[in-house]
Amino acid sequence: MAGLLQQVSLPGEEIPWLNEIRRRGRMVFEATGIPTAKTEAWKYTKPRELGGDDFVLALPSNNLDASIPNLAFDSYRICFENGIFNPRQSILPQGVEVLPLIEVIMFHPEYRTLINANIQLERFPFAALNSAYLNEGVFIHIDSKVEIKKPLTILYHTDNKNQNLLCNLHNLILLDEQASAKLIEYHCYKGELKSRYFVNVVNEIYLRRGAFLKHYKVQDEAFKSNHIALNCVDEASNAVYQAFCLQKGANIARNETHVLLKEEGAFAEINGAYVMNGWATLDTTTDIEHLAPNTISHQLVKGVIGGDAKGVFQGKIHIAPLAIKTEGTQLHKALLLSDTAEVDVKPELEIFADDVKCSHGAASGELDEDKLFYMRSRGIKEEEARRLLIDAYLEDVISKIEDEKIASWIRLMAK
Amino acid sequence: MTTPILEIEDLYARVGDKEIIKGFNLTINKGEIHAIMGPNGAGKSTLSNILCGKPGYEVTSGSVRFKGKDLLVMSPEERACEGIFLAMQYPVEIPGVPVTTFLKHAVNAIRKHRGQAELDTMDFIKMVREEGKKFKLDAEMIKRAVNVGFSGGEKKRLEALQMAVLKPDFAILDEADSGLDIDALKIVAEGINSLRDGRRSMLIITHFQRLLNHVVPDFVHVYADGHIVKSGGKELAVELEEKGYAEFEREK
Ligand SMILES: Nc1ncnc2c1ncn2[C@@H]1O[C@H](COP(=O)(O)OP(=O)(O)O)[C@@H](O)[C@H]1O
Ligand SMILES: [Mg+2]
Repeated sequence: MAGLLQQVSLPGEEIPWLNEIRRRGRMVFEATGIPTAKTEAWKYTKPRELGGDDFVLALPSNNLDASIPNLAFDSYRICFENGIFNPRQSILPQGVEVLPLIEVIMFHPEYRTLINANIQLERFPFAALNSAYLNEGVFIHIDSKVEIKKPLTILYHTDNKNQNLLCNLHNLILLDEQASAKLIEYHCYKGELKSRYFVNVVNEIYLRRGAFLKHYKVQDEAFKSNHIALNCVDEASNAVYQAFCLQKGANIARNETHVLLKEEGAFAEINGAYVMNGWATLDTTTDIEHLAPNTISHQLVKGVIGGDAKGVFQGKIHIAPLAIKTEGTQLHKALLLSDTAEVDVKPELEIFADDVKCSHGAASGELDEDKLFYMRSRGIKEEEARRLLIDAYLEDVISKIEDEKIASWIRLMAK
Repeated sequence: MTTPILEIEDLYARVGDKEIIKGFNLTINKGEIHAIMGPNGAGKSTLSNILCGKPGYEVTSGSVRFKGKDLLVMSPEERACEGIFLAMQYPVEIPGVPVTTFLKHAVNAIRKHRGQAELDTMDFIKMVREEGKKFKLDAEMIKRAVNVGFSGGEKKRLEALQMAVLKPDFAILDEADSGLDIDALKIVAEGINSLRDGRRSMLIITHFQRLLNHVVPDFVHVYADGHIVKSGGKELAVELEEKGYAEFEREK
């Protein structure tokens, strides 16, 4: 475990509350360790490589002298370079609180109770690891009834030529009543395709009454990196959370979304796509808890897997006894492009209430030979025909993104 | 002077263990319209698929030359680029791919093969819309995914539209008339006739005479049990309609 848990000196050590969180994180991670196949939640995705590598926690000295990748749409920008917030590269909106998380912990103790409020560290070893180093990350606070029209993009740009960086990030996002925003997370790398690094993100999202968050993410990490993200979403009545995550990079990657629909009328739509031709494992894990009546959740995830790659989808819908008249749907589909490609799917429904609508489905298949021939018979080259069919396969999920500019960007990224 | 565009010589082909094409011979010259008529299951679609290079068929002997070149070694896309087009008996649905996108890729692939520049997207869409009108396929239908939610007749009209846009040198129309009501039949027939310019060749496959009343062929062949059992002029189609195929099947 020497690689991941190190003795480092971090800001804020004079704050007992922070020390306690870090101590507990360290303790839990020491006890759980890197999950193995024996851990039910990590049966298909095996991050064991993380045990072998020596990691160095990202520090401000690991600065990156790269230009920021261009975004295809107009956006505010919160930049992390090699795991460290860089205010100089960031473009922040007026009238919205965007602060380094550590500043909030130090100077606004009233927000501390939000941190790890819904996360049971024992269930999430990497969230425990994340807490052990709690420091980097941002706090985004949107006031009641404020609508941020322009998207807010968190850009994570990593290069790491020399060391195996551990980028440990914890973001806290709070939308007060009726606030609305679009959040984009873009994880990308510079230069070396073979960089090894580990991005470990925890996003805690609180949506107060009637708040509306659209959350888009593109995970395009270097091919030997690891990416583990936990999104923990807490929704009050009539809050709306719409998410789309495209995963296309990294060696081992998991995007896990845990939604708590705590009050009546809360709504969540968790969509996603993953595309991989190499040898990676791309994992999408969800856990939607319907805790109040009349709550709604929809999930649609589609994957395209070739080479020796593996897709994993674990989707759970939990409906608590009180949560009558709720609706939960889930669909996972995968297109397998080679004989060695693999998809593991684990849907789970736990229904403790009456009068609910709940459905789940999964399907996987290969590219349709008749469709391919039809296109080729019109002169379209086989490679191009395959490409068109793959794009078409993902189109129904990508087209659910309402913002056309963002949809085009994701469509392009998925190619 | 006649120039052969397609020369099929003593072709034998199978699907799995089943021999379907058995000693098929046919030469089509530039500008000629041939019709092949035959009962269900005779192997007409098998022949068209083999001519277009559909995987899954095994040619065991014989040869096919297209414009003098060995056709059987070419990939389906090469054949299309060389100028072959097949209007399929059962057009395929392609969810997520709009007709315009599909056709644009096809037209540009063929243009690229000929060393021509790609078409401008706006010009292209305008052109497809204009052509679409001829086949009573409006702008809304052309925006939809290929064949998805199209009725049987609309699918056939879309095949004809594709032919009109791709302007092949040689078109095979496999049961282009099946499932069409009389109005749609006329639309498709007009489309075919408008492409008939004395240089373009066609092979019309059908088991009814119906379409041949509107698109009058130069030659009619009766096809049964994997090969041509009788050839003649357009009057042969009428004879077939009266007598049925049984007679010819006995003749072989
Ligand atoms: N892929 C296939 N596998 C097995 N048999 C086939 C296949 N395709 C066609 N056949 C058989 O070949 C014969 C000819 O079929 P087809 O060419 O479709 O006839 P037609 O178009 O003249 O009605 C039929 O008996 C049919 O069942
Ligand atoms: Mg047929």
